[in-house]
Amino acid sequence: MKYIILVFFIFIIYSLGSALYYMMKDGDGSRRMVKALTMRISLSILLFIFVIFAFWMGWIQPTGVT
Amino acid sequence: MATTTSDVQIDIDAHDEHHHGPDKGLMRWVKTTNHKDIGTLYLWFAFTMLLIGGAMAMVIRAELFQPGLQLVEPQFFNQMTTLHGLIMVFGAIMPAFVGLANWQIPLMIGAPDMALPRMNNWSFWILPFAGAMLLSTLFMEGGGPAFGWTFYAPLSTTFAPDSTDFFIFAIHMLGFSSIMGAINIIATVMNMRAPDMKLMDMPLFVWTWLITAFLLIAAMPVLAGAVTMMLTDRNFGTSFFDAAGGGDPVMFQHIFWFFGHPEVYIMILPAFGVVSQIIPTFARKPLFGYSSMVYATASIALLSFVVWAHHMFLTGMPIAGQMYFMYATIMISVPTGVKVFNWVTTMWRGSMTFETPMLWAVAFVILFTIGGFSGLMLGVAPVDIQYHDTYFVVAHFHYVLVTGALFSIIAAVFYWLPKWCGRMYNEKLAKIHFWWAVISVNVLFFPQHFLGLAGMPRRIPDYSTQFADFNMISSIGGFAFGASFLLLTYIIVNCIRNGEPVKDERVWESARGLEWTVATPAPYHTFNEPPKKAEILNESSHIGAH
Amino acid sequence: MQSNNQYFVPHGSYWPIVGSVGMASLLGGFASSLHGNVLGTGLMVLGLVIIIFMVFGWMGQVVLESESGIYNKQVDRSFRMGMGWFIFSEVMFFAAFFGALWYARNLAVPWLGGEGNNFFTGQVLWPDFKAVWPLIQVPDVSKYTVPKGIIHAWEIPAINTLALLTSGATLTWAHWALLNNKRNQIIAGLIATIVLGVIFLALQVAEYGEAYQHLDLKLTSGIYGSTFFMLTGFHGLHVTLGTIMLIVILMRVIRGHFNPENHFGFEGVAWYWHFVDVVWLGLFIFVYWL
Ligand code: HEM
Ligand SMILES: [Cu+2]
Repeated sequence: MKYIILVFFIFIIYSLGSALYYMMKDGDGSRRMVKALTMRISLSILLFIFVIFAFWMGWIQPTGVT
Repeated sequence: MATTTSDVQIDIDAHDEHHHGPDKGLMRWVKTTNHKDIGTLYLWFAFTMLLIGGAMAMVIRAELFQPGLQLVEPQFFNQMTTLHGLIMVFGAIMPAFVGLANWQIPLMIGAPDMALPRMNNWSFWILPFAGAMLLSTLFMEGGGPAFGWTFYAPLSTTFAPDSTDFFIFAIHMLGFSSIMGAINIIATVMNMRAPDMKLMDMPLFVWTWLITAFLLIAAMPVLAGAVTMMLTDRNFGTSFFDAAGGGDPVMFQHIFWFFGHPEVYIMILPAFGVVSQIIPTFARKPLFGYSSMVYATASIALLSFVVWAHHMFLTGMPIAGQMYFMYATIMISVPTGVKVFNWVTTMWRGSMTFETPMLWAVAFVILFTIGGFSGLMLGVAPVDIQYHDTYFVVAHFHYVLVTGALFSIIAAVFYWLPKWCGRMYNEKLAKIHFWWAVISVNVLFFPQHFLGLAGMPRRIPDYSTQFADFNMISSIGGFAFGASFLLLTYIIVNCIRNGEPVKDERVWESARGLEWTVATPAPYHTFNEPPKKAEILNESSHIGAH
Repeated sequence: MQSNNQYFVPHGSYWPIVGSVGMASLLGGFASSLHGNVLGTGLMVLGLVIIIFMVFGWMGQVVLESESGIYNKQVDRSFRMGMGWFIFSEVMFFAAFFGALWYARNLAVPWLGGEGNNFFTGQVLWPDFKAVWPLIQVPDVSKYTVPKGIIHAWEIPAINTLALLTSGATLTWAHWALLNNKRNQIIAGLIATIVLGVIFLALQVAEYGEAYQHLDLKLTSGIYGSTFFMLTGFHGLHVTLGTIMLIVILMRVIRGHFNPENHFGFEGVAWYWHFVDVVWLGLFIFVYWL
């Protein structure tokens, strides 16, 4: 489970990073940045939904005092 | 563009500013956005700090002249070692290199100025405040920080004087300044280069600074994190570095050295760049192995992030960790060796002359290599058990930092000063100074190898009598080396005020580089029109025959 | 226009020195106030005021210059690079704290419990200590507060995650609107983003209140409390800054600034917000879940 979340995370950071790269590289008028950001927010929302789903299925537990 | 908002009144003279020179009076220096002014400010600040830090070193060597407590209280002695280290690293070496970058990078890439000129001014003007805050700790109740420049917890948390919080904020400010300076350098190199200059056309000094700037942006925030954790541990009851709350004092060392090892390369990579500019000029040959120099610099920089725990072999790391950090550390000497090889090969069969900058550069190559070798010895985990925290480490890092970084700065100043101020320094005095300094520095630091191997611990005001002879020799060398800076001050001031005027654009007839195509002394504004491809290639110090 | 081919180099500025004075009095005042110096507190507040004055003065000047058209594409690129590398430095700052969290959880605490070759560490220091995460029962309970519990992922944090993620979506919506020059949609998107940011902050304050008053979970609760509050606290500080920047951007949009060809200010702030958003996601996952 950890690994699925990690993979998600890596992709999110990648899209965020590429947005930064496009912002520095392209300048105004390019749409690559906003596309990368759209990618990153969609992935993040998917990850959030996945976490909820995994919890619902009982695959993961939140940090808690045992 | 006619999109001007109608009532906007901007108080800048955007149209005629390219024609006028500097403002008059003190405010010129406070307000300035000119890279040459700011470079000058940085260099004078660094020089002042060098003298202050040097005075502290004199106190240290005087106390260590003979065994027994002689002159100062042990607590004060520790404050001296601590502030000496901090001031030399953050106040002298780093600002001096940023000063050189400010002066030279725009000139070497054919840019009109730095990319973000106002921020450039701010990067500098934080420094005097931070430096004053750091020095003010000495006068506070309980004294200044006395835990060494590495400020390990819990010495710097539980057992430190109140002034430590001022030290922490001084570090925050210095870090902020360095980060902004580095951002500016990256933006300048990447965005302000003459359009015809490719990355692989850039002089090596520009390359090494570009990579250093990257190191700075990656490493300084981690230091800021470390001192922030210290601050909260000291004042707000967190327990990052206290095992009683589940933290770990050794974690401090990990975080510190994750910054600290890249930091030592921050202080040496620009030095590599300086030497790679000077040697081709006076060997009258293009730099040997330019692209391998670039790749070696980049690999040193990347590797520098994965070797930090070689400073921590004695903290009880798991064996696997020690092995890894040992091999990774030793691996760094491969690209470092490539560089030394290239400098030597550049000189090989060149028609060499030994003007003062070249003398310093050659001394750099030889003496830095000694420091590199002692570093290799220290990197071998099993023997570092013997060497760690002895004078051997002190000898090592002074060979790389004094005869390495500092020597390259002096070399750079002699090399470019005539271009900056249009006057020549006194060659004869400068040569006397060189030999005086280079001999005394070895008298000062070489015996410290023996002291360390014999087991003399560092950071102590007193020592057992079998170390007496070498300490006395070392102190004598120290006083002589310290005094040499008085002569250096004279040579530089004398050059600026009464030096023989230089008219030639190419101050050194064999020098290559765009900085030698502008008038001497360098006008206030240069390269309003970027140089063209032919000129860039013609001025390259690494291609073609000289 | 001739000046547009030239790289714009401002001719001197007082803002940096104002900033330095502000910074020195803020930090110097803070350090003195930590040691009971009342004047220090005053100095600190003064410094803060000076810095705020400086930020608005400096940025205001930049905005005026930008809108007057004296910046060319190259200047714009310098700003973009400056912003990008500044955020990279922020990433490294957060990395230090995430690193501390990782080290404490995976090394320091287990070692204190006697793991690996540290059997005697546990025996000699605190033989009763049990290594568990989250660390509630700190090794030395006389030195640090023992909390009654921790904040659970399913309470405020989940709502906050939802708020921030939604704000990322509304901001992206505004971003697209900017590129397509739909002014009203930009304004609506920005307002929604700002409101969500404020909601996040308010909930965060409520969460801290809950932690301090009912759970006894404090900065002084050992390494769990330390990492928890420092990470979420610095994150909250960044959300605050981001919200302020978004408000400034909103004002500028309302005044008619930015267009599909010229909008670096917007993109810089937008990226900053996305960055802060991802940091939160990391916090949510690594602090509250894994
Ligand atoms: C060939 C490359 C190098 C190697 C293998 C190396 C290795 C080491 C090792 C293993 C130590 C720790 C010794 C101990 O504490 O027991 C050390 C300390 C140190 N090195 Fe190097 N080093 C190298 C180059 C440099 C350079 C280029 C610099 C700076 C320009 C530098 C500056 C320092 C400093 C300042 C310390 C002492 C830190 C302290 O205060 O404890 N080193 N080096
Ligand atoms: Cu090192």
